[in-house]
Amino acid sequence: MGNEDDTEVLEDGSFTRPYFLTQGRTRSDAGELAVEAMVAVSAGSTMPADHDLAAIYSLCKTPNSIAEISAKCSMPLGVARVLVADLWGAGTLEVLETTRSDDIAIVRRLLDGIRNR
Amino acid sequence: MASGTDNSTARPVSAKVVISGGFGVGKTTFVSAVSEIAPLRTEAKMTSAASGVDDATFVQQKTSTTVAMDFGKITVDQGLVLYVFGTPGQDRFGFMWNDITAGALGALILVDTRRLDECFNAIDFFEQRGVPFIIGLNQFDGAPAHDVNDIREALDLASSVPIVRTDARNADEALDTLVQLLSHILTTLSAKAAEEMAAAPQAAAVAAGPEQRPAPVVTNDMRSAAMSALAAERGVS
Repeated sequence: MGNEDDTEVLEDGSFTRPYFLTQGRTRSDAGELAVEAMVAVSAGSTMPADHDLAAIYSLCKTPNSIAEISAKCSMPLGVARVLVADLWGAGTLEVLETTRSDDIAIVRRLLDGIRNR
Repeated sequence: MASGTDNSTARPVSAKVVISGGFGVGKTTFVSAVSEIAPLRTEAKMTSAASGVDDATFVQQKTSTTVAMDFGKITVDQGLVLYVFGTPGQDRFGFMWNDITAGALGALILVDTRRLDECFNAIDFFEQRGVPFIIGLNQFDGAPAHDVNDIREALDLASSVPIVRTDARNADEALDTLVQLLSHILTTLSAKAAEEMAAAPQAAAVAAGPEQRPAPVVTNDMRSAAMSALAAERGVS
């Protein structure tokens, strides 16, 4: 009787699911990825058997960021990040370049590109 | 198996700016206005701790809140993509702010002139981290049109921080504001580079003595660079 509240928490799918998908992990051994880091399938790699990993793989046939993967595959950001990092660690996905926040040349290019829209 | 792997031709570099400000100040509207895709929403669960929360006291307070953040995308050219991330409105989701801000080029802090105090936290946050930012006074119907100098004083802002008027509902105005942000970032970076150049002769003298090298400082900015290096390494092996 006293543990009714606990049961409610455990039965809340949104509470347990993120851990379940990542087998309890909140970060991947492969490393941390920025939310805007884009990833794409590596040449010669094959589609993973796992359902969620396969969804990520299919999406990344064109480059997508971690945030986009999270949104489009409807998985919390933390889950997407761990699974993508796993696929990166396994060589299935490649991480594309992100800019340094002090890259003047990139800022110029952004400025020109957006100004000329 | 080489199916669907013709990504060698298009491997864009990604950059990021942040749209911040208080609750209900028009961040999502702004992201929609500038984004070429319908804004996407990604969610993070505080319980997942995946955003790098190490603060146990924080986790205790709230156990299963969903934090949503909206973001959009602008393809600047074939090889360059700009992501525009909105910060979650409520202050208690500060841990998400770190995640969103790490490696960002700069930030636009939207302000509703009827509720100036809503943006204090955002200003503090970006000031403390040395992230270049501008203030965008979002036009709300019936909002008082304060003098910019009065607002600067009220927000205790340095004269170097631009304050611009914007309308998040209008794509042209929003894009124009984004251009103003990028200009400010460019100005800030150029000034910093000039400063470093001026200090260079000194640095060269110091470098002559091998033991005199400054201790390495790891900043958030370095994260993306380290990541790229790691990625490159993996690409080779």
